[in-house]
Amino acid sequence: MDRPEGSREKGDRLNMSDIDVMLDDNAPVVPLIDEAAPAKVRVRKRGRVTKWLAISWMVFITVSSIGAESLPYINHSCDQFASIGECTTATHANIRLAERPPAWAGFSDSPQKGEPARFGLMGTDKNGFDLFARSLLGARTSLIIAGLAITFGLAIGTLLGMIAGYFRGWVDVVIENLTNVLLSFPALLLAIFFVTFFNDPSTAAATTRPLWPVVVSLVILSIPPLTRLVRANTIAYAQRDFVVAARSLGAKGSRVLFREILPNIVPTLLSFALTGLALLIVAEGALAFLGLSVEAPVPTWGRMIATGAGPLREGSWWISLMPAFMMFLTVLAINLLGDVLAQRFNTREAIS
Amino acid sequence: MRYVLRKFAQTVFVVVLVTLLTSVALRFLPGGTDVLVALKTGPGATKEQAQKVITDLGLDKPWYTQYFSWMKHFVTGDWGATLQSNTSIASAVKRALPISAYLMVYGQLLALFTAVPVAVWSAYRHNSRFDRIATTSAFGMLSLPNYIVAPVLMYFVSVQRKWIPYPSIYTSLFDDPVAHFKAFVLPSITIALPLFAGYMRLLRADMIATLQSEFITTARAKGVSTRNILFRHALRPSMFSLVTATAVNVGALMGGVVIVEQFFLLNGMGRLTVESIFSREYPSVQYAVVVLALIYVAVNFVADMAYAWIDPRVRARRAIG
Repeated sequence: MDRPEGSREKGDRLNMSDIDVMLDDNAPVVPLIDEAAPAKVRVRKRGRVTKWLAISWMVFITVSSIGAESLPYINHSCDQFASIGECTTATHANIRLAERPPAWAGFSDSPQKGEPARFGLMGTDKNGFDLFARSLLGARTSLIIAGLAITFGLAIGTLLGMIAGYFRGWVDVVIENLTNVLLSFPALLLAIFFVTFFNDPSTAAATTRPLWPVVVSLVILSIPPLTRLVRANTIAYAQRDFVVAARSLGAKGSRVLFREILPNIVPTLLSFALTGLALLIVAEGALAFLGLSVEAPVPTWGRMIATGAGPLREGSWWISLMPAFMMFLTVLAINLLGDVLAQRFNTREAIS
Repeated sequence: MRYVLRKFAQTVFVVVLVTLLTSVALRFLPGGTDVLVALKTGPGATKEQAQKVITDLGLDKPWYTQYFSWMKHFVTGDWGATLQSNTSIASAVKRALPISAYLMVYGQLLALFTAVPVAVWSAYRHNSRFDRIATTSAFGMLSLPNYIVAPVLMYFVSVQRKWIPYPSIYTSLFDDPVAHFKAFVLPSITIALPLFAGYMRLLRADMIATLQSEFITTARAKGVSTRNILFRHALRPSMFSLVTATAVNVGALMGGVVIVEQFFLLNGMGRLTVESIFSREYPSVQYAVVVLALIYVAVNFVADMAYAWIDPRVRARRAIG
């Protein structure tokens, strides 16, 4: 499992920059690596463009989800109605606008309604709500939950991993086996179990359905892999000269951990945090898909996709595919940024 | 040999811990044992009825006794009945297990049989157009959770084109192969997509490193054909991470694809477990989860052993220390 990092990394780096040049100079026989010097430049450029696309998408989604109630380009569900009164009388009033395909959907072939009028950027759902606005509100839910979870997960996972990796001994054994046990259950089942456990009907949480059961479950889910990652990194750094030097100068364990080792593993953690954020958004979506995330009126991507599955069967594809598209773009953007960071800091994902 | 023993001891330890945790988990239910009694007997249980439920589940004994009697039941297959509908837990698991296994095997096979050639070719023509398209699309696929893939596939294949009727009911492979595959095509593709991406990336990275080793150059110089170099010389030492990932995914796929199972109406282990959790059938949850965890642990153990087969260097290293 703990494969030596050196070989692969060295190979990759060599191949990225040096090999081509070296070959051009001396070897007429081209080995199994393709010559691709001009292509490389193109790749780099495209990489930069996608990076900025990813960043701007994240800025867009963050700003829009924070200001979803007041930003001008987001349809506030009352704009579509003749009067405010019509809008506020709950979901039934919106039936008039229910299941309209997006404005650009020329190829829509909903069989049951002839040619329905189109509406908005992403169409409307069964209740006549604008899907674009709801998708952005869903982004808010997802980002808050996943962001909180990865923050706490990182804090706890880093602490446990550093303790296990630095002090070793029985602490290490205990922590390692606990993570092994947690990892031997399918992750999604574990999350489902914890959420239902915290939301058990006999406890107070069930009636109010707050945010924290979801967050806590996701935190528990994210701790084992983070602990493993940090542990492996800590072990690697604990034998380095500067750590040994600090210790021989009489530095205490906590000082060595937080002043010497922690700053060195922060880059790895940062790039992994973004990947983790993407994974947790996906996990939150899965919980929401099963109806386990936040309470019904609050939009989440997962539940929007789930409730759209019924209409999808009758041909109203946009109700679940539009939020799915937003979610895909967001997860993709975060993954891309994680990748950029990983390359920047030259770290490799120790755990896939 | 020492390595095998140590790995085995570690595996046994995890198994013990997993079963211990799940077997005594009933004690820590919010609401206590009253919940179980209420589920079993309905409201207004007499004292004797309540006592019977508690003794049946072994909750009146100390935890270690409970653990051993629970293990005895588990090993002998006497898993008891569900709380509410009084049906056999063992037969429910027995029904669900093959469905999950089919799904897992088809998904893995599909992913491996596509990922290996693509990865090998990508590594061989590293940085070529094919490689860039492959890596970029693999990266995109990693950002596709299965609850996005499933509706998209369902819409284009079942709703718009009507190639495969949507709720394709599970039938046994031996009764009706055509219907069997109809039921499994879409869910397998859904599962295989992110797997393909992961496997492809892993194998490609390792393969690129391997192709730079000296023995490849030697083989090249000897005049070994490209195909032989790629598939007979380079593939085996590059499979290390791939084997680990495949093994880890076996466990994850057996119970972790609840959403795919739910979306395509397959009653596999994931759905069984989740529905048991929802209806608070805690004993069923216990058994299903332990079965899943055991599969995971066993497969990982086998994968660890398989390293030695893949890479003789590992065997040598293990023999030394």
